[in-house]
Amino acid sequence: MDRQALTRRSLVGVGLGGAAMAAAPGVLAQANPPPADPARPGTLTTAPVSQAGLGPRLTLHAIDNFHGTPGAGMVCDLSIREGDTYRPIKTVTTAANGRTPEPLLSEDAMRVGHYELLLHFEEYFARTGASLPSPNFLGLVPVRFVIRDASQRYHLPVLFTPWGYSYYRGS
Amino acid sequence: MAGITTHVLDADRGRPAPGVRIDFSVMEDGAWRHVKSVVTNADGRTDAPILPGTEAKIGQYQLEFHIDAYLKGKPGVTETDIFVDNPVVRFSVADVKQHYHVPMLCTPGNCTTYRGS
Repeated sequence: MDRQALTRRSLVGVGLGGAAMAAAPGVLAQANPPPADPARPGTLTTAPVSQAGLGPRLTLHAIDNFHGTPGAGMVCDLSIREGDTYRPIKTVTTAANGRTPEPLLSEDAMRVGHYELLLHFEEYFARTGASLPSPNFLGLVPVRFVIRDASQRYHLPVLFTPWGYSYYRGS
Repeated sequence: MAGITTHVLDADRGRPAPGVRIDFSVMEDGAWRHVKSVVTNADGRTDAPILPGTEAKIGQYQLEFHIDAYLKGKPGVTETDIFVDNPVVRFSVADVKQHYHVPMLCTPGNCTTYRGS
Protein backbone atom coordinates (compact mmCIF):
# COMPACT_ATOMS: atom_id res chain seq x y z
CA MET A 1 0.00 0.00 0.00
CA ASP A 2 1.43 3.36 -0.92
CA ARG A 3 1.18 6.41 1.25
CA GLN A 4 -1.34 8.16 -0.92
CA ALA A 5 -3.66 5.20 -0.73
CA LEU A 6 -3.36 5.09 3.02
CA THR A 7 -3.84 8.82 3.32
CA ARG A 8 -6.89 8.79 1.13
CA ARG A 9 -8.51 5.93 2.97
CA SER A 10 -7.78 7.48 6.34
CA LEU A 11 -9.10 10.86 5.33
CA VAL A 12 -12.27 9.52 3.79
CA GLY A 13 -12.79 7.64 7.01
CA VAL A 14 -13.13 10.86 8.95
CA GLY A 15 -15.19 12.61 6.31
CA LEU A 16 -12.65 15.30 5.52
CA GLY A 17 -10.95 13.69 2.56
CA GLY A 18 -11.67 16.34 -0.02
CA ALA A 19 -10.54 19.36 1.93
CA ALA A 20 -7.47 17.73 3.37
CA MET A 21 -6.34 16.20 0.10
CA ALA A 22 -6.75 19.55 -1.60
CA ALA A 23 -4.45 21.04 1.01
CA ALA A 24 -1.80 18.35 0.64
CA PRO A 25 0.00 18.97 -2.65
CA GLY A 26 3.14 19.64 -0.62
CA VAL A 27 3.48 15.92 -0.04
CA LEU A 28 5.15 15.60 -3.40
CA ALA A 29 6.82 18.99 -3.41
CA GLN A 30 8.77 18.50 -0.19
CA ALA A 31 12.50 18.92 -0.70
CA ASN A 32 14.35 15.60 -0.54
CA PRO A 33 11.47 13.64 0.94
CA PRO A 34 12.66 10.61 2.87
CA PRO A 35 11.36 7.28 1.58
CA ALA A 36 7.90 6.73 2.99
CA ASP A 37 6.57 3.41 4.10
CA PRO A 38 3.51 3.96 6.24
CA ALA A 39 3.24 0.24 6.89
CA ARG A 40 6.10 0.56 9.36
CA PRO A 41 7.42 3.25 11.67
CA GLY A 42 9.74 5.70 10.02
CA THR A 43 13.44 5.13 10.10
CA LEU A 44 16.04 7.48 11.50
CA THR A 45 17.53 8.69 8.27
CA THR A 46 16.69 12.34 8.74
CA ALA A 47 18.55 15.05 10.61
CA PRO A 48 16.86 17.44 13.04
CA VAL A 49 15.18 20.42 11.41
CA SER A 50 15.75 23.91 12.76
CA GLN A 51 12.92 26.33 12.24
CA ALA A 52 14.69 29.31 13.73
CA GLY A 53 13.87 32.52 11.93
CA LEU A 54 10.83 31.21 10.09
CA GLY A 55 7.53 33.08 10.15
CA PRO A 56 4.42 32.40 12.19
CA ARG A 57 3.33 28.79 11.91
CA LEU A 58 2.14 25.76 13.80
CA THR A 59 4.19 22.65 13.18
CA LEU A 60 3.96 19.11 14.51
CA HIS A 61 6.54 16.43 15.16
CA ALA A 62 5.27 13.00 16.16
CA ILE A 63 7.93 10.84 17.78
CA ASP A 64 7.33 7.16 18.46
CA ASN A 65 9.14 6.37 21.70
CA PHE A 66 7.92 2.77 21.53
CA HIS A 67 9.88 1.96 18.38
CA GLY A 68 12.46 4.74 18.76
CA THR A 69 11.52 6.22 15.38
CA PRO A 70 9.64 9.13 13.89
CA GLY A 71 5.89 8.63 14.11
CA ALA A 72 5.19 8.11 10.40
CA GLY A 73 1.68 7.84 9.03
CA MET A 74 -0.06 9.18 12.14
CA VAL A 75 -3.48 10.57 11.22
CA CYS A 76 -4.22 13.81 13.08
CA ASP A 77 -7.39 15.92 13.13
CA LEU A 78 -6.85 19.60 13.93
CA SER A 79 -9.74 21.63 15.30
CA ILE A 80 -10.32 24.92 17.08
CA ARG A 81 -12.63 25.55 20.01
CA GLU A 82 -15.72 27.60 19.29
CA GLY A 83 -17.96 27.92 22.31
CA ASP A 84 -18.34 24.46 23.82
CA THR A 85 -17.35 22.51 20.73
CA TYR A 86 -14.34 22.03 18.50
CA ARG A 87 -14.69 22.92 14.84
CA PRO A 88 -12.63 20.71 12.50
CA ILE A 89 -10.01 22.57 10.45
CA LYS A 90 -8.14 19.82 8.65
CA THR A 91 -6.94 16.25 8.82
CA VAL A 92 -3.30 15.48 8.09
CA THR A 93 -1.05 12.44 8.06
CA THR A 94 2.55 12.63 9.20
CA ALA A 95 5.26 11.83 6.68
CA ALA A 96 8.15 9.40 7.16
CA ASN A 97 10.01 11.95 9.28
CA GLY A 98 7.09 12.28 11.72
CA ARG A 99 6.33 15.81 10.53
CA THR A 100 3.60 17.02 8.25
CA PRO A 101 4.61 18.03 4.73
CA GLU A 102 3.18 21.50 5.31
CA PRO A 103 2.71 23.37 8.60
CA LEU A 104 -0.62 22.67 10.29
CA LEU A 105 -1.20 26.42 10.16
CA SER A 106 0.90 29.16 8.69
CA GLU A 107 0.96 32.91 8.20
CA ASP A 108 -2.59 34.16 7.63
CA ALA A 109 -4.16 30.93 8.89
CA MET A 110 -2.63 31.45 12.34
CA ARG A 111 -5.34 32.46 14.77
CA VAL A 112 -5.30 33.00 18.49
CA GLY A 113 -7.37 30.26 20.06
CA HIS A 114 -7.72 26.98 21.87
CA TYR A 115 -6.83 24.05 19.64
CA GLU A 116 -7.16 20.30 19.72
CA LEU A 117 -5.10 17.86 17.71
CA LEU A 118 -6.68 14.40 17.79
CA LEU A 119 -4.07 11.70 17.16
CA HIS A 120 -5.15 8.27 15.95
CA PHE A 121 -2.91 6.15 18.22
CA GLU A 122 -4.76 2.86 18.02
CA GLU A 123 -4.77 2.82 14.24
CA TYR A 124 -1.08 3.75 14.23
CA PHE A 125 -0.01 0.95 16.53
CA ALA A 126 -2.30 -1.60 14.89
CA ARG A 127 -0.57 -0.83 11.61
CA THR A 128 2.90 -1.05 13.08
CA GLY A 129 2.23 -4.51 14.44
CA ALA A 130 2.46 -3.76 18.16
CA SER A 131 0.87 -6.45 20.33
CA LEU A 132 -1.66 -4.60 22.47
CA PRO A 133 -4.89 -5.22 24.34
CA SER A 134 -8.16 -4.48 22.62
CA PRO A 135 -9.31 -1.85 23.09
CA ASN A 136 -5.88 -0.34 23.57
CA PHE A 137 -5.24 1.89 26.59
CA LEU A 138 -4.96 4.88 24.25
CA GLY A 139 -7.11 5.11 21.12
CA LEU A 140 -7.91 8.60 19.91
CA VAL A 141 -5.72 11.00 21.87
CA PRO A 142 -6.66 14.67 22.21
CA VAL A 143 -3.76 17.11 22.51
CA ARG A 144 -5.02 20.50 23.63
CA PHE A 145 -3.00 23.68 23.52
CA VAL A 146 -3.36 27.43 23.21
CA ILE A 147 -2.03 29.80 20.59
CA ARG A 148 -1.94 33.15 22.37
CA ASP A 149 0.06 35.16 19.83
CA ALA A 150 -0.58 34.50 16.14
CA SER A 151 2.62 36.32 15.18
CA GLN A 152 4.79 33.67 16.84
CA ARG A 153 6.00 30.28 15.69
CA TYR A 154 4.59 27.29 17.56
CA HIS A 155 6.18 23.87 17.37
CA LEU A 156 4.29 20.95 18.88
CA PRO A 157 6.30 17.80 19.48
CA VAL A 158 4.29 14.79 20.65
CA LEU A 159 6.30 11.92 22.15
CA PHE A 160 4.22 8.79 22.44
CA THR A 161 4.01 5.10 23.18
CA PRO A 162 0.91 2.88 23.39
CA TRP A 163 0.91 3.60 27.14
CA GLY A 164 1.55 7.29 27.41
CA TYR A 165 2.44 10.52 25.75
CA SER A 166 3.96 13.90 26.35
CA TYR A 167 3.62 17.11 24.44
CA TYR A 168 5.14 20.53 24.84
CA ARG A 169 5.83 23.80 23.19
CA GLY A 170 9.00 23.14 21.25
CA SER A 171 11.11 25.36 19.07
CA MET B 1 -6.49 -3.21 43.79
CA ALA B 2 -8.41 -2.37 40.65
CA GLY B 3 -10.21 0.73 39.47
CA ILE B 4 -8.89 4.12 38.40
CA THR B 5 -6.69 6.55 40.31
CA THR B 6 -4.70 9.61 39.36
CA HIS B 7 -2.00 11.92 40.64
CA VAL B 8 -1.35 15.48 39.49
CA LEU B 9 2.23 16.59 39.72
CA ASP B 10 3.70 20.02 39.19
CA ALA B 11 6.73 18.90 37.20
CA ASP B 12 8.09 22.44 37.18
CA ARG B 13 8.60 22.29 40.92
CA GLY B 14 8.74 18.56 41.49
CA ARG B 15 5.84 18.76 43.88
CA PRO B 16 2.25 17.59 44.08
CA ALA B 17 -0.32 19.92 42.55
CA PRO B 18 -3.09 20.49 45.08
CA GLY B 19 -6.49 22.03 44.38
CA VAL B 20 -6.72 20.87 40.75
CA ARG B 21 -10.25 20.07 39.64
CA ILE B 22 -10.64 16.85 37.66
CA ASP B 23 -13.77 16.00 35.69
CA PHE B 24 -14.34 12.29 35.28
CA SER B 25 -16.52 11.01 32.46
CA VAL B 26 -17.44 7.69 30.92
CA MET B 27 -18.35 6.89 27.34
CA GLU B 28 -21.95 5.73 27.10
CA ASP B 29 -23.90 5.24 23.89
CA GLY B 30 -21.38 7.22 21.89
CA ALA B 31 -21.26 10.25 24.19
CA TRP B 32 -19.27 11.27 27.25
CA ARG B 33 -21.34 11.23 30.42
CA HIS B 34 -19.95 13.30 33.29
CA VAL B 35 -19.74 11.11 36.37
CA LYS B 36 -18.19 13.41 38.95
CA SER B 37 -15.73 16.20 39.62
CA VAL B 38 -13.09 15.92 42.28
CA VAL B 39 -10.27 18.14 43.53
CA THR B 40 -6.74 17.02 44.29
CA ASN B 41 -5.61 17.09 47.91
CA ALA B 42 -2.32 18.32 49.33
CA ASP B 43 -0.61 15.20 47.96
CA GLY B 44 -1.91 15.85 44.43
CA ARG B 45 -4.14 12.80 44.70
CA THR B 46 -7.85 12.39 45.25
CA ASP B 47 -9.13 11.37 48.69
CA ALA B 48 -11.03 8.46 47.16
CA PRO B 49 -10.30 6.52 43.97
CA ILE B 50 -11.64 8.12 40.82
CA LEU B 51 -13.40 4.82 40.17
CA PRO B 52 -13.45 2.09 42.85
CA GLY B 53 -12.48 -1.35 41.66
CA THR B 54 -15.92 -2.68 42.49
CA GLU B 55 -17.44 -0.31 39.93
CA ALA B 56 -14.89 -0.84 37.15
CA LYS B 57 -16.26 -1.88 33.79
CA ILE B 58 -14.62 -2.42 30.45
CA GLY B 59 -15.00 0.81 28.54
CA GLN B 60 -13.66 4.22 27.70
CA TYR B 61 -13.03 6.86 30.33
CA GLN B 62 -11.99 10.48 30.36
CA LEU B 63 -10.16 12.68 32.84
CA GLU B 64 -10.09 16.42 32.26
CA PHE B 65 -7.47 18.16 34.34
CA HIS B 66 -8.18 21.82 35.06
CA ILE B 67 -4.56 22.79 35.40
CA ASP B 68 -5.08 26.24 33.91
CA ALA B 69 -6.36 27.75 37.15
CA TYR B 70 -3.58 26.03 39.08
CA LEU B 71 -0.85 27.27 36.73
CA LYS B 72 -2.16 30.85 36.74
CA GLY B 73 -1.93 30.83 40.52
CA LYS B 74 1.76 29.95 40.54
CA PRO B 75 4.16 32.74 41.42
CA GLY B 76 6.17 33.84 38.41
CA VAL B 77 3.79 32.34 35.83
CA THR B 78 1.89 34.63 33.53
CA GLU B 79 -0.87 33.60 31.18
CA THR B 80 1.38 34.05 28.16
CA ASP B 81 3.60 31.26 29.49
CA ILE B 82 0.78 28.72 29.41
CA PHE B 83 0.80 26.62 26.24
CA VAL B 84 -0.90 23.48 27.53
CA ASP B 85 -4.68 23.81 27.60
CA ASN B 86 -6.58 21.87 30.25
CA PRO B 87 -5.48 18.39 29.20
CA VAL B 88 -8.05 15.72 28.49
CA VAL B 89 -6.89 12.13 28.83
CA ARG B 90 -9.05 9.46 27.20
CA PHE B 91 -8.23 5.84 27.85
CA SER B 92 -9.75 2.39 27.83
CA VAL B 93 -10.07 -0.13 30.62
CA ALA B 94 -9.66 -3.51 28.95
CA ASP B 95 -9.43 -5.67 32.10
CA VAL B 96 -11.43 -4.82 35.22
CA LYS B 97 -9.16 -6.92 37.41
CA GLN B 98 -6.26 -4.58 36.68
CA HIS B 99 -5.57 -1.24 38.25
CA TYR B 100 -5.37 1.85 36.07
CA HIS B 101 -3.28 4.65 37.51
CA VAL B 102 -3.26 7.64 35.17
CA PRO B 103 -0.98 10.43 36.41
CA MET B 104 -0.77 13.92 34.95
CA LEU B 105 2.57 15.72 35.04
CA CYS B 106 2.26 19.33 34.06
CA THR B 107 4.14 22.57 33.60
CA PRO B 108 3.00 25.67 31.70
CA GLY B 109 4.64 24.41 28.51
CA ASN B 110 4.40 20.63 28.82
CA CYS B 111 2.22 17.81 29.98
CA THR B 112 2.76 14.09 30.26
CA THR B 113 0.50 11.18 31.05
CA TYR B 114 0.98 7.43 31.06
CA ARG B 115 -0.29 4.23 32.51
CA GLY B 116 1.40 4.26 35.88
CA SER B 117 1.29 1.96 38.87
